Order: sequence, then structure tokens, then C-alpha cells
Amino acid sequence: MIKTRTWIIILAAAALIAAAGTFFTLRPRGEAKLVEVVQDGTVLREIDLSSVTREYSFEVVWTDGGTNVVTVRPGAICVSAADCPDKVCVHHGWLTDQSAPIVCLPHRLVIRAKGDTSLDTVSQ
Amino acid sequence: MRYRTLLKKIASLFLLLLLLAGCASGASPAGGVSPSPAELRGTELFAMDTYMELKGYGASDALLEAAADRIRALEDALSTTREESEISRLNRDGETNVSEETYRILTRSLELCRETGGALDITVYPVVRAWGFTTQSYRVPERGEIAALLETVDYRGIARDDSTRAVSLPESAEIDLGAVTKGYVVDVLRSLFEEAGVHDALFNLGGNVLTMGTKPDGSLWHVGIQDPQGGLLGTVEITDKALITSGGYERYFEDEDGNVYWHIMDPQTGYPADGGLLSVTVMGDEGIRCDALSTALFIMGTEGAEAFWRNHKDFDMLLVTSDGRLLLTPDAAAVFTPDEACPYETAVIEP
Repeated sequence: MIKTRTWIIILAAAALIAAAGTFFTLRPRGEAKLVEVVQDGTVLREIDLSSVTREYSFEVVWTDGGTNVVTVRPGAICVSAADCPDKVCVHHGWLTDQSAPIVCLPHRLVIRAKGDTSLDTVSQ
Repeated sequence: MRYRTLLKKIASLFLLLLLLAGCASGASPAGGVSPSPAELRGTELFAMDTYMELKGYGASDALLEAAADRIRALEDALSTTREESEISRLNRDGETNVSEETYRILTRSLELCRETGGALDITVYPVVRAWGFTTQSYRVPERGEIAALLETVDYRGIARDDSTRAVSLPESAEIDLGAVTKGYVVDVLRSLFEEAGVHDALFNLGGNVLTMGTKPDGSLWHVGIQDPQGGLLGTVEITDKALITSGGYERYFEDEDGNVYWHIMDPQTGYPADGGLLSVTVMGDEGIRCDALSTALFIMGTEGAEAFWRNHKDFDMLLVTSDGRLLLTPDAAAVFTPDEACPYETAVIEP
């Protein structure tokens, strides 16, 4: 009797661990932290904002020589400087996973959340 | 016997756990074959000086291409920055015969200028250009220069002939349909998608949104509204509605003294509209009207916008004021969920 019970417990525990493993690997992701930096339809970089530990910047150059400086910090991304005339991209400020995409029209640059977000779109 | 019972118990335990795991991973219910919903397919493009996203459940490549082509054709006809466009020709020559569609847009625009008492005025273009917003060579014009330009600003001076589609402008007057074009385009896209049998779709033309139908599970579209001071104001859940926002916070420049000038010009003063608003979001059935109203209400200012809504009540709006308030019409409040970080004092506008 005791032996049988032990087996039940062992098997049940094994099954639970397996089920838990399945659950954690297959469950839908919570907040989307993935963003992509796209220029004229080409994905230049994909960044997981949740895994960013310290602030860094990189430069994106458009075919006409125009540049945008993209700054990344834990949980957020922005265009910190640009040589386009209107600076709409810089004025946009930090993009978190819920904001409208950052767009620089003259340089065809879009920085947007990737994957499932709770919003279908944003009006600005 | 005991051994067999035990096996059964273990087997049923496994079955239960498998089912749980199945549910957790989002699989369809055991045994049920659920029809796979039409796939959400879309396209993106840069046109009309903005970034556009179009998507629809079951939208074919042919439909998406036709939609993009249609947008580019409208841009070719209406753009003030293309020398060969119909509007540029009208501005240059003072009179011209326009295409059927351009005539229709122009006619509807003039109705909206009239409806808003001239708060929207498509002839304000020379003033906008003097401030440098059409070329991004920003400058603050002299008072005398603005006063002279205002002489030409009056939509009532535009003459039309329905039979020949001839349009003529008074001396030195010029028009720009930029305040209504994207709203018109979302109406066109809705028709295109409906004709192609796509009834659940979402368009966003640089913040000018139109939603059709629902998502496959029947849920409404979740449309975020940008906080003019950064971040998110909140979310509305809507279906079959246009939602269009205007604000001074995107296109502006600062002079040497740090004064901010934005692109929405008051046709009465020739200066950036300063009615105590940071942004206006309009929700309604017709895209072109929502687009026109979002600009006109921004120019009217907080009290003017409230009064206009009380007189019409056939649209809904969200106003963000420069003194830190978020004002909503009752039906807008019913579908709006503020963001956790929304910093504004929220109030419902009295009907």
C-alpha cells in the first residue's frame, strides 16, 4: 500500500512538472517589449527592451546621408538626435511598448513595437 | 484489481493534466474543430507626408496593392507640394477644371468650412507657407506680412461650377486640402475593402484611424490615444468609427526666445491657434468630417469646441486642455479607459 502511494505521488509530481513546463513555454507572452527599427521597410534591428541593462546609442544613416541617433535604455527607446528639418521623430520622445510608433518621414525610419501588444493601433 | 485501479487513476490524472496544458497553450477545445479565422494581413507605406498602416482580416495582396495605388493617385491629384497636381494647377493658374473626385472632395471641404463657421478654412495655405511649415524653413513672419496674407484668406471666395467642374480662386488665393485629405482617404479605403468583401479592418494614416467591424473573436478594436505631452492618454474600444486627432505637439518649431509655434493656423489671426487646447480627438462615422472637425475644434478652443458639440451631438470628442484637463463627451467617456499614468483631471462635458 505504502509503496503504491509513493509511486502515485512520484508520478503525479512528474506529471505536474511536465504540465508546468508546457504551460510556461507555451503560454502567451505578457507585455510585449520587443521593438524593431525599420527603414523603408527593411528591419535594421530588433531589440528586446526588457533585456536592456544600460543606456546606449547607435546611428542610422539614410541613403541621402541623413542621420538619426537612436538611444536605448532599459524599457524604452527614442530618437535622441536627427538632422531632418522638422525633428518630429525627436519630439516624439520615448517609446514604451504602448506608444504610437516613432516616425521620421524624411529618412523613412519607423521604430515600433513588435509582436502582440494590447493595442491595435494608436492615434496621435 | 488494485493495480488496475491505480493505473486508471494515473491515466486519468495524466489526461487531466494534458487537457490543462492544452488549454493553457491556447489550443482549441478538445475534440472541437474551430474554423480558422481569416488571417490579419496588411501593408504599410509612406505617402501624403505620413506613415500609413492598413490591415484587414482576409485582405488579399491585390486589395492591399489597390489600396496603396489609390492613396498614391489621390496624393498625385491633391498634393500642394507636387507641381503637377490638380490643386497645384488651381493655385498657380487661379482657375482650372478638376476631376470628378477632386471636385467632390473640394465641395465637401467647403461644406465643412461653412459648418465650422470658417474655423476650418482651406484658403489659409499662404499663411501656413509664410510660417515655413510647407518647406520646413521655419520663420516668424512680420505682422504686416501676415495681415496682407489674411486678405486672401476666405473660403467663400472660391467659385465653382457643378456642370463643368470648373473651380476658380480670387486673386492671390491658394488652397490646401491637407486638413481633410487623410480623413477622406480612410472613407475611400473603407469602401474599397467593403467592395472586396473585407469587413473587419483597421487603417491608420499618421494617427488618422478608421476601424471596420471587429476582430475574429468578436472583440472591438483597441485604439490608443496619444498623450500630447508624451506617453498614452488611454484607450477606446470601438467598431465602425473614424477616430482622428489633431494637436500642436507634433509639428512645431521654437524661436530663439523659446516661444513655440505649431502648424495649426487660426484663419482669423494668421497665428498658430491658441484656444487653450493641446489636442482634439474626434470620433464619428465619416472620416473627412472627423478630420475637418479635429482641426476646426482645435482652432475654436475649449469653449468653442464644447459649444459646437452641444449644437450638433452627432460626433464624439476628447479634448486635452493646456491647463491639465481631459474633457470627454458622454459617449466617448463610455468607451474610454484612461491609462494608469494619465496625468489629467478627467471630466465629462455636460450635454
